[in-house]
Amino acid sequence: MEFHELLKAPGPILLDGGMGSMLQAKGLALGEYPELAALEHPDWLREIHRAYVEAGSQIIYANTFGANREKLSRTGKTAAEVVSASVALAREAAGGRALVALDLGPIGQLLEPTGILKFEEAVDIFKEMVLAGAAAGADLAVIETMTDLQEVRAALLAVKENSSLPVIATMSYEERGRTFLGCDPASAALTLEGMGADAVGVNCSLGPREMPPLVEELTRWTTLPIAIKPNAGLPDPGGAGYDITAEEFAQSMADLADLGVKLYGGCCGTTPEYIARMKAALAGRTIRDIPRNVPAAVCSGSCAVPIDRVRVIGERINPTGKKAMKEALRRGDVDYMLNQALEQTGAGADILDVNVGLPEIDEAEMMVRVVKAIQGITDAPLQLDSTDPKVLEGALRVYCGKAIVNSVNGDEESLTAILPLVKKYGAAVVGLTLDRNGIPKSTEERMVIARRILDKALFYGIRREDVYIDCLTLTVSAEQAGASQTLEALRRVHAELGLKTVLGVSNISFGLPARPLVNQNFLTMAMTCGLDLPIINPNLEPMMAAVRSYHLLMNIDKDARDFIAAYGDAQVSTTITAGKAAPAPAEAGARDLGKLVEAGLKNEAGQATRQLLAEREPMDIVDNVLIPALDRVGADFETGRVFLPQLIQSAGAAQAAFEVIREKLSGQPGRETDKGTIVLATVKGDIHDIGKNIVKVLLENYGYTVIDLGKDVDPAAVVEAARKHKAGLVGLSALMTTTLKSMEETIALLRREQVPCKTVVGGAVLTPEYAAQIGADFYAKDAKESVDVARRVFGTT
Amino acid sequence: MPVALTQLNIDEVLRYMGCPPDKADSSTRALAEECAAQMLRTATPRWTYRIFDLGFEEEGVRMGGLLLPGEDLKAHLTGCGQVALFCATLGAGADALIRRAESGDMARALALDCAAAAAVEEVCDRIELELQAMFPGCFFPFRYSPGYGDLPLTLQGDLLALLDAPRRVGLTASASNILLPRKSVTAILGIAQSPIERKNRSCLGCPAHDGCQYRKSGGHCGIS
Repeated sequence: MEFHELLKAPGPILLDGGMGSMLQAKGLALGEYPELAALEHPDWLREIHRAYVEAGSQIIYANTFGANREKLSRTGKTAAEVVSASVALAREAAGGRALVALDLGPIGQLLEPTGILKFEEAVDIFKEMVLAGAAAGADLAVIETMTDLQEVRAALLAVKENSSLPVIATMSYEERGRTFLGCDPASAALTLEGMGADAVGVNCSLGPREMPPLVEELTRWTTLPIAIKPNAGLPDPGGAGYDITAEEFAQSMADLADLGVKLYGGCCGTTPEYIARMKAALAGRTIRDIPRNVPAAVCSGSCAVPIDRVRVIGERINPTGKKAMKEALRRGDVDYMLNQALEQTGAGADILDVNVGLPEIDEAEMMVRVVKAIQGITDAPLQLDSTDPKVLEGALRVYCGKAIVNSVNGDEESLTAILPLVKKYGAAVVGLTLDRNGIPKSTEERMVIARRILDKALFYGIRREDVYIDCLTLTVSAEQAGASQTLEALRRVHAELGLKTVLGVSNISFGLPARPLVNQNFLTMAMTCGLDLPIINPNLEPMMAAVRSYHLLMNIDKDARDFIAAYGDAQVSTTITAGKAAPAPAEAGARDLGKLVEAGLKNEAGQATRQLLAEREPMDIVDNVLIPALDRVGADFETGRVFLPQLIQSAGAAQAAFEVIREKLSGQPGRETDKGTIVLATVKGDIHDIGKNIVKVLLENYGYTVIDLGKDVDPAAVVEAARKHKAGLVGLSALMTTTLKSMEETIALLRREQVPCKTVVGGAVLTPEYAAQIGADFYAKDAKESVDVARRVFGTT
Repeated sequence: MPVALTQLNIDEVLRYMGCPPDKADSSTRALAEECAAQMLRTATPRWTYRIFDLGFEEEGVRMGGLLLPGEDLKAHLTGCGQVALFCATLGAGADALIRRAESGDMARALALDCAAAAAVEEVCDRIELELQAMFPGCFFPFRYSPGYGDLPLTLQGDLLALLDAPRRVGLTASASNILLPRKSVTAILGIAQSPIERKNRSCLGCPAHDGCQYRKSGGHCGIS
């Protein structure tokens, strides 16, 4: 019987129980590799599999849990041979009485951003197992004991791209309802159902008594069958076993039938006896059929956002009309985008739109970089904004969660190129009501396109709830009749199609005075017509106030909790100054910028710079105010009058001043602040980058252009960047004795490739002697010294 | 296993930040306090342990089938018949919090990083007390970690495997022996039935003092 037939049949499906503990009971020694049991102890393994089949398991897991090339690296065996032997042995033991699952457990190395394993490498590691497992005759794949949703995604993609095996995906949660890496059942369910898993659930981590809240949460977010495979209770902290008996386990598991669980098994500490008793306990029970109404929702790897109220999409990560962001994209400065992300979520954005399209850069590469970086610092779901399928696919692959794809339009070409990607990666999609003929003027024509997009999405197997329609805002100063048409279209999409709606709001007022007023009012009108997902600048308080007021007035914000939390102490002024905008209030005299930098006052330093720019040339400020101030702080740091925190705070203040100056200078060719280009990297294998980041801030303050390659950087990437940016200096950081080797290799490669640059090295384990030994030109003991080195390399002016 | 953390020693955090506590200005101290509080709210400390019998051999000591090579640990554990091997981690949330600050405010990132370092130490101190309480009447030299003395960092993966740490507490070691999540410790606590010469937990007395990576980065290894 195939897995899908098993799923369709009424009644529970029984999985097997623990493997590791069974092998230990047979005599597997501490330190021996359990993965090799099929090769080294086939008789034990056969007996264990058979005992589970006899106890009633309808699906047994082949002993491939840890049979990946990372874990096997020290055994001399390949993943392919271990997986093949293990699956073959399980099939033989099952003898046609049970299905055999290829078991995919964690790789044992953490993926980015917590670890350093790259997503594509993880996919490749699982791919090797999947190919061998499918060839050896596995009936399905199980992905289990995972704590990182991104790793589950890698495994699931590997199965889907390399086999036709059905998949059960289960994760391991703590009692607080999250995995070690912070994934919650809602995000797991939304993401994995979207990507095509056949069943989802929970295994390991806890005992059966701790399962009900997790099961209930899962059923809220997925229509898939639920699989539960808990431990034999909670573990003894010293490793001495688990705390409940087979009978207690069986009874607690049987109670899960009332919650609609379909697949039942055991994990650590459970034995064939547990499965046999569980079978008996489940015998008289009916699995309750609970209707599942999964709402429209998106998520990151740790935060689900149901579209059950107005959800704000932050529009700021988009270079259109933003000089500073274009500049940052050209420099490859991802920090700029990260700050935009944090600012918007801080202001109340629920979802962030990410658009990095600029003709002169490699959009696909930059999109992947930015998506990965943003995911590392915020748990807000992302809306991936591009019309290029290549850019979208790259971003969808590395995005952990259920994203929104922005966008398709009504053209066949757009739909057939992008909708399959939306389906494959389980995203939601924005459909623009336009086609090759442009934006239709009438509501009816827009409805026709919306229907066309919906039909095509359904055709590709995309859930109706995952199609969001953008009825498009027209600038009211150009087409005054447009706004009411947009609102009418919103109302009809909402009422007639029952779809969620998206709308970029800010364009409405282009070319008009008092834009914030127009935007705020249009937003309120649109929400009243059923707008679910406004794309706005959340940093503008009137816009967020409109959303919060709407929730309050529509009785969505119960007891006005959110509203009062946001505005309980607010001073609100509704005065509108008519006519010409009033001049910005004059500060009580321009304070000495140098003093502000020394004191480390960020905001004040930015303001003072703005005022100073009215009187003095930008480079005059840099050379005669900022740098001398930093030098004074640096000298005090060297003599022990100020300490690292103050040095960094001063650097932060100077950075704020610098941003203002850079803004002023951008677009004035030949007047850049550039005093030389420096490539910085934390070497391959090392991930300690706080020191390097401090160095970066300081160097930027002195007017150097810093190309930051991040951490765990391959020597070849350093060489490439040094060449590409014509860097005069390359700075390398390492904090571990074990990664100094990479530093040496990087310097050697720079020399071998004859890159004309100097090198400076730093990091806690380094000494000047060692730096000289590995061929570095300079050693810097701290961030201050790295500036001294840069001055020697580039000259002091 | 969870372990409760309620407060951190702010002077300790300041020292990690490279700022002598008596010379910290009020804004630096306030930053340290605020970041310590935020770190405590975010960190999810977990730990696990196992007790092993200890064997002394020519090249080092052996526990659970694993050889811990070198002279320093061997000398350190003289008189001990058993050891408690444990690991502790603040979890991935602590790393994420620091990462978030790094993109915008390095002073804050430094303070959070140092608060986390102090928090891991605090967690280890508490674990050590709990372990000691399991062996009443016994005697304990100070806890000892890979990287200290001549005990190689390359043992991290093996120690974690003995503890089943990836599954139990979500702690792993990278190919270059970095513990991930970052704010984590593995340590060995000797257990002796009769009094042992209690060595001073001093950084200066450590054989690795001169080249110590922890000390140079303004932190320490968890021993002193």
